[in-house]
Amino acid sequence: MAKEQILVKPKKKKNGVGQYILGFFLALYTLFCAAPVVLTVISAFTDDKELKSSGFTYFPQHWSMAGMNAVLRYGKQLGTSYGVTIFVTVVGTFVGLLVMSMFAYSLSRPQFRMRYGLSIYLLIPMLFNGGQLSSYVIFTGVYHLKDSMLLLILPICVTTMNVIILRTYIQNSIPEELMDAARIDGAGEYRTFFQITLPLMKPTLAAVGFMMATTYWNDWQNAYLYIESKSKQPLQLLLIKIQKSIETLLSNKNIPSAVIAAMGGSIPQWSATMATVIIVIGPVIIAYPFFQKYFVKGLTVGSVKG
Amino acid sequence: MANSKPAAKGSSPAEMTEFDYRKAKSNSFWHNTWKHRAYLVMALPAVIIMFLFNYVPMTGLVLAFKKYDMTRGIYGSPWNGLQNFRFLLASKSTFLNMTKNTLMYYVIFTALGTFLNVVLAIAIDQFAFKKVGKFMQTIMIIPIFVSFAAVQFIVMAYIGSSVGIVSNALAANGHKIAFYRSPQYWPLILTIVKMWNSVGYGSVLYMSVLAGVDTSLYEAAEIDGANKWQQIKYVSLPALVPMITVMLLLSVGNIMHSDTGLFYQVTRNTGNLYSTTQVIDSYVLNAIMKISDFGFTAATTFFQSVVGLLLMLFANWMVNRISPENALF
Repeated sequence: MAKEQILVKPKKKKNGVGQYILGFFLALYTLFCAAPVVLTVISAFTDDKELKSSGFTYFPQHWSMAGMNAVLRYGKQLGTSYGVTIFVTVVGTFVGLLVMSMFAYSLSRPQFRMRYGLSIYLLIPMLFNGGQLSSYVIFTGVYHLKDSMLLLILPICVTTMNVIILRTYIQNSIPEELMDAARIDGAGEYRTFFQITLPLMKPTLAAVGFMMATTYWNDWQNAYLYIESKSKQPLQLLLIKIQKSIETLLSNKNIPSAVIAAMGGSIPQWSATMATVIIVIGPVIIAYPFFQKYFVKGLTVGSVKG
Repeated sequence: MANSKPAAKGSSPAEMTEFDYRKAKSNSFWHNTWKHRAYLVMALPAVIIMFLFNYVPMTGLVLAFKKYDMTRGIYGSPWNGLQNFRFLLASKSTFLNMTKNTLMYYVIFTALGTFLNVVLAIAIDQFAFKKVGKFMQTIMIIPIFVSFAAVQFIVMAYIGSSVGIVSNALAANGHKIAFYRSPQYWPLILTIVKMWNSVGYGSVLYMSVLAGVDTSLYEAAEIDGANKWQQIKYVSLPALVPMITVMLLLSVGNIMHSDTGLFYQVTRNTGNLYSTTQVIDSYVLNAIMKISDFGFTAATTFFQSVVGLLLMLFANWMVNRISPENALF
């Protein structure tokens, strides 16, 4: 033992040059990752005239709150969209986690023979899918769910990958004896799951749940395809609408100047756009460091084999 | 699994017989299912959701062989034989272009992405200043949380004509480039955006594997005289191989699919750029939004699904031959 420690000690001193070179490159990459987000924040508070005349810059000469103010002014739709996005994210993540962890639990029961069949059932959508067009035609033509918030929640609620991650965690990290002990003590299957297994799944639920929440928060495609009424428009769709209106403005040179003047403050400007971007992506970025510690622990993928 | 239990209970003969009796009864599949019906009930909600939103849409692929009539619905529309596929072959250039782009980006993103994921995971794992490394990693993961609907504005801030930082800097040096009108630059731009977006997060999975490697392996290697490179080559990399295989295999199933946000939002769906940026998924999205030409589109998605399935089966078969323990099924 003593010898080992002597061997270990000088090794720590070898941190020297190599480590600093490595650190330099890592810092460089970190900078590369952070730079675009930093630019977004800076330009949201840059004077819009400066953005228009000399373009985006990390070192603006004139700061301004006008962008943020403009966003808050056309804030009614923003508030509605925030509500929609939060609702979809919370409900979707909660329902998804519950439904998927129950499925994962039943797939992980060794004595349950149907699990082989169910594993195949789980696997098939990963191999074969109907694609966007069939989904669209079925959801709107057969289910008649056009403009329904169900389509923002249910299609991405259960994914094969997440079920596999949850099942792997139950199999590898929760001792079977605990479940056996609960059963011997007289707990039924449901009680065993909800009172013993589910609480122990916390790290993986946090990791998968956070990834799901992000998927819901960032999902624009389902909203883009299915949502029509403004009261159901999530944040990402609002961003797309803003981009569209900028485009129309830029491409339509024959809009009379009087109209533009009349539209006044409501025309989305660069700094206001960047301010919206911050408001849309901000919550996820702020929430994420609190979940990060679960990422490494809770996200292991095991084999798909049953 | 049932075999492990009698050994534990074997002490009392009375229990043995009772167990054997139960075992014999539970040998029937349906009896087993009934006995564990609680598990079936727990699986049911997910099974139903998957049925409605994954399985039923598969039947929509029959559209490829139909002449879609909105009033008569998907199942009521008349059959059309292979007419839709004939359209597909007739408009060769569109179809070939988007298939080429889909495959090209899949190869670039998967090869470069996997490589960078592994490099980054090893680099952070080897970095001695753990606190700093952790902090850097936190920042590296952030880009995955920025939606592509938002990324498009950030990309514009760099390369938008007359406002972008990069395009202005290039213009100042006499290279005026209208990026949104020059398709030749977009493979590079999209690759940078994609790597920025996904490498930090992608490396987490590999890091979780490296975190599980017994440190005594490194120590033993070091005592045997292995330098850092050799330790990485003979300890870290072999530990990562199973995860790399699984992730590559999983990605093969998506070979015909792309990150639609990247190709539709980041390029702002600009027609000028289609020659290098249009992938099958963005084409299909466009077709749906314009409600045009469902026959051609249906044939395309059919092709997409079938090729995806075949490639996945083929890849799994290959892995099964080379190293069966890493195969998916």
